Amino acid sequence: MAGIHIEHVTKSYGQLTVLKDFSLDIADGEFVVFVGPSGCGKSTMLKILAGLEEATSGTIRIGGRDVTDLAPGDRDIAMVFQNYALYPHLTVRKNMGFGLKMRGTDSAEIDRRVTEAAKILGVDHLLDRRPKALSGGQRQRVALGRAIVREPQAFLMDEPLSNLDAKLRVHTRAEISALHKRLGVTTIYVTHDQIEAMTMADRIVIMRDGIIQQIANPDTMFRKPANLFVAGFIGSPGMNFFKATVAPGQGSAMVRLFGQNVPLQAPTGLSGREVVVGLRPEHIVAGEGPVTFAVTPRLVESLGSEKYIYVDVPPENRVEVAHTGGDDRRADTIIARLINPEERAGSGPLTLSFDPARLHLFDAQTHIAI
Amino acid sequence: MKPRFSLDLARPSRRHWLGYLLLAPAVLLIGLIIVYPLIVSVDISFQNVNIARLDQPRRPFTTANYERLFTSADFWNAAWVTLKLVIIVSVFCFLLGLGTALLVNNKFKGRSLARLLVALPWAVPEVIAVVIFAWMFDSSFGLMNWIFIKLGFIDTTVNWFSSPAAAFMVVCMTMIWKGYPFVSIMMLAGLQSIPEDFYNAARVDGANTWQRLVNITIPSLMPVLGVTLVLVMLWVFRDFSIIYVLTGGGPLKATQTLSIMTYEQAFGFFKMGYASAIGVVTLIICVIASRLMIGRAPDNI
Repeated sequence: MAGIHIEHVTKSYGQLTVLKDFSLDIADGEFVVFVGPSGCGKSTMLKILAGLEEATSGTIRIGGRDVTDLAPGDRDIAMVFQNYALYPHLTVRKNMGFGLKMRGTDSAEIDRRVTEAAKILGVDHLLDRRPKALSGGQRQRVALGRAIVREPQAFLMDEPLSNLDAKLRVHTRAEISALHKRLGVTTIYVTHDQIEAMTMADRIVIMRDGIIQQIANPDTMFRKPANLFVAGFIGSPGMNFFKATVAPGQGSAMVRLFGQNVPLQAPTGLSGREVVVGLRPEHIVAGEGPVTFAVTPRLVESLGSEKYIYVDVPPENRVEVAHTGGDDRRADTIIARLINPEERAGSGPLTLSFDPARLHLFDAQTHIAI
Repeated sequence: MKPRFSLDLARPSRRHWLGYLLLAPAVLLIGLIIVYPLIVSVDISFQNVNIARLDQPRRPFTTANYERLFTSADFWNAAWVTLKLVIIVSVFCFLLGLGTALLVNNKFKGRSLARLLVALPWAVPEVIAVVIFAWMFDSSFGLMNWIFIKLGFIDTTVNWFSSPAAAFMVVCMTMIWKGYPFVSIMMLAGLQSIPEDFYNAARVDGANTWQRLVNITIPSLMPVLGVTLVLVMLWVFRDFSIIYVLTGGGPLKATQTLSIMTYEQAFGFFKMGYASAIGVVTLIICVIASRLMIGRAPDNI
C-alpha cells in the first residue's frame, strides 16, 4: 500500500491535448474517483498511471518511487478492466493466479492466495470453470479477485461496473466499497457515473476536456461546486439554472426569479453583474416558504418515493449556456424533486417554494462559482 | 382475391419452404459434381476398369485394386512423400504465416503495403508461380544457383531437378511460398479479434512479450489455427499443379505424392480402377486427419 503522487502530467496525441497539467496527491489507502463525461481524459490518466500509455510530460510516484517510465508489470499495481479482460482459455483459478505465475511465485503460494481471494469474493465454488460459464456479476468478481490476489500497492479500476445491469451495479458498488474498507488498499476508480462517484469516493476528481474541474469529497462537491459544470454534473437530476442580473436591494443584493425579487446572501458589490443562479431540484419544496411561487407543472413524474415536477421557466430567466453536465436539459424547464410527496390528482396548479440561502451563484461569463 | 393455390412463402408455417428453395440449386450442384463422381469412383475402385465408360456394363466386383495397392512399394512411397510434404509445408507455412501476421499486425508506416506484400504470393496463379520457381531453380540460368555460389554455400551449380533430395526441397519451398500467405491472412484476422485489453491485463500482470505470445496470443488463436491447419493440410494433400509442373513426380518418384500417383495411374497408364482406389484411400486419410484436427481444437472460445 502506498500513496500516489501525480505531478504535472500531460498527454497529447500530436496536436490534440487530452490531459492538461494533471496534478494530484493521493493518500495511502484513499479511494479516489475520476469522473467526467466521455472524452474528458479520465481513462487516459488511469492508463498513464498503469503504464499502458506514456505521459507526454510529468512525473508519477507510487509509494515514493518514481514509476513514470516503468513497465506496467513493474509498478506493483493491479487493474480491473471495463470488460474484465479475463483470459477465455484459462480457468478462473488460473486467471486469478496469472499475475503471480508471471512473477514466478511458487504454485503452493499461488494456490493459497487464490483460494483466499476467492473466499473473500465468494467465487470459491467457481474456481475450475472457464469465464464463458460465468454470469456477468461472477466475471466481475473474478476480475476483482485477479486484482486482489496480487496484493498490489494500488488498484486501478476502469469503469468496472458499466457492463452490469442496474440492480447488480448497485449491489457490486457496495461490495467494492466494503472490499476497500477491508483491504485498505489505495484505489483509483474511473467512471462516468456521478452516482458511483458520490457513493464510493473518499475524494472525487471531476474532469472535463483534460482539465481537473474540482477535487473534493462528495459532500463538498455537492454543496460547494466550483463551477457551473460541476454543479450540473453532480446530482440527479442535475442543478437547475436561471439567468439573472444582480440588482441592489434593501441591505443585500437581489435577483429577479419567477418575477419576484429574491434577496441574496452576497455582497452588494455584485450589482449589475450577469449571473447564473443555480438551485438544486431537492431544494424546491412544496408549500409555502421564504420564496413562494405558484406554477402549473408541464409534467409530473412519479417514482413512488419522490416526484419530479417539470416547471416552465419565465423567458427572462432562461439560460443559454450548454452546461454539458449530467443531463442535457431544455433551458426552459426546471425540475423540482419532491421527496415523499402527498398523493396529488392530475397536474393542477401547485405552490412551490425555496430558501434563497440554497441558491448557488456563478459568473455568467467564466462559469466560476461566486 | 388471391388465387387459391398461390405459394405464399411469407406465411409463418411455410417460412422454411423458402430456405429449402434457396438451398436447392447448391445442393443439386454439389450432388452432381461432387457426390455423384465420388460414388462412381468408389464403385470403379472395386472393379477392374481401365478406361471408365458409363455406358459399359459393370465389371464383376473385385478387391484386386486394393490388394495390389497395399502391396505396392510405389503406393507406400507416395504415402511417405505426401506425409513428409504435409508436415514440412504445414510447419513452415505456420511459422512464416504467424510470424508475418504478427509483424504486419503492428502499427507502423506503410502497414497496408506490407500487408499487401505478405498476401501477394497467394494472388499469383499457381502455374505461373511454379514456372517462375522452375526458372529460379534452373541448373544453368537459375537465380538460386547464382545466389548460393555468391554466398559461398556451394562451389558448383546444383542440378536441382535431378537430385531426389534437392527436387523435394524445391517442391517444399514452392509450396511454402505459395501457402504461407493464406495462413498469414487467417492469423491476421484471428489476431485482430483478440481484444486489446487482454494484452493490457497481461502487461499489468507483468507478462513480458514472449509470455504474452505464449499465454495470450497463441491460445486465443487456437480455433483459427485448427481450421487453418486442416485447410493447409488438405491443400498440400490434393495439390497437383505445383508438383506436376515443377517435377512431374520425379526424379525417381522422390516427389510423387498420392495425387500425382492417382493422376499418373488414371491418365498415364489408364488404370482407372486402380487410380480410383488410390483416390478413395486418400479421401479416407484426409477425412480422418481433418476429424482429428478439428476435434482437437479447443472449444472454449
